[in-house]
Amino acid sequence: MTLLYLALGTLFGFVLSRSGAADYDYIQGMFLFERFQLYGIIGTAVALTAPGLWLIKRRGVTLRGRPITIELKPQHRGNVSGGILFGIGWSIAGMCPGPILVNIGEGKLYALGALAGAMVGAALFGVLYPVLQAPLQMPPLKVGPGEG
Amino acid sequence: MPLLLHNLQPLHWSIAGVGIAAVTLSLMLLANRRLGISTGFEDVCSLVLSQPYFRRDAVIGGRRWRLPLLAGLLLGGFLSAVTGGGWSPTWSLGMLDTALALGPMGKLAWMFVGGLFIGFGTRMAGGCTSGHGIFGLSNGEWPSLLSTLSFMGGGILTTQFVYRVLLG
Repeated sequence: MTLLYLALGTLFGFVLSRSGAADYDYIQGMFLFERFQLYGIIGTAVALTAPGLWLIKRRGVTLRGRPITIELKPQHRGNVSGGILFGIGWSIAGMCPGPILVNIGEGKLYALGALAGAMVGAALFGVLYPVLQAPLQMPPLKVGPGEG
Repeated sequence: MPLLLHNLQPLHWSIAGVGIAAVTLSLMLLANRRLGISTGFEDVCSLVLSQPYFRRDAVIGGRRWRLPLLAGLLLGGFLSAVTGGGWSPTWSLGMLDTALALGPMGKLAWMFVGGLFIGFGTRMAGGCTSGHGIFGLSNGEWPSLLSTLSFMGGGILTTQFVYRVLLG
């Protein structure tokens, strides 16, 4: 199975690399409303994944017969405030989490700075979770803010 | 507009969208896994940090599939460069180079700040473009719609401010 995840990650990374999703100028072009590319990519992906997921859930089991169980993300105040913070970072760096790794793979050395920042940011959030949990109305530690 | 990577012409957006949907659906149909990248940062943190947050089942249990997926992203970018003109390290940063001629240390610092917002924000939101934006929206999840609108809004406001006011 490890090889399957590695292969799917590789395909994902290749597509992100060649589509503009891991390209600083294409990200700024999206946020400046000057380039349709990224809106087209995300829109197409959602338009195809939605019916696909519906079919898989209706089928109910994986190809190997294991039950399909989709863990839903919890709703809390962090969805909006964390989203805004992430958006600011996406704009500054010109890359979201997946493309940070893709850019490093491509040889864009500055992406190493983004990776270091993201690791420190995630670590900081984890350390502060006990403090942030009540004001943000996030689930208990055992559940966390959501996977993804 | 060509990509920064070897000035390659990008894939058509519909082709890229099909590719991403194929990866997302394969993860679910083959392995009952929900696409998500930013939790992978926690997985990496958990290799060195021992706070309770990093010892959750969702983190420890996810490492064995999410870490290979993350390694694949690195490999995918590498193969894209190799097959697209050869792998060579670069500092080229397009519009930012034109607007603000930063040296390597300046670029690393700029990116580190962006990364801090990305790491902290995605974990606070409970997901990123993949987990909320692609999977969550496709699955009709309300928190994902809220998050997606928030990070699109945050990105639009920031880029508009940076390129139309600050550096414009």
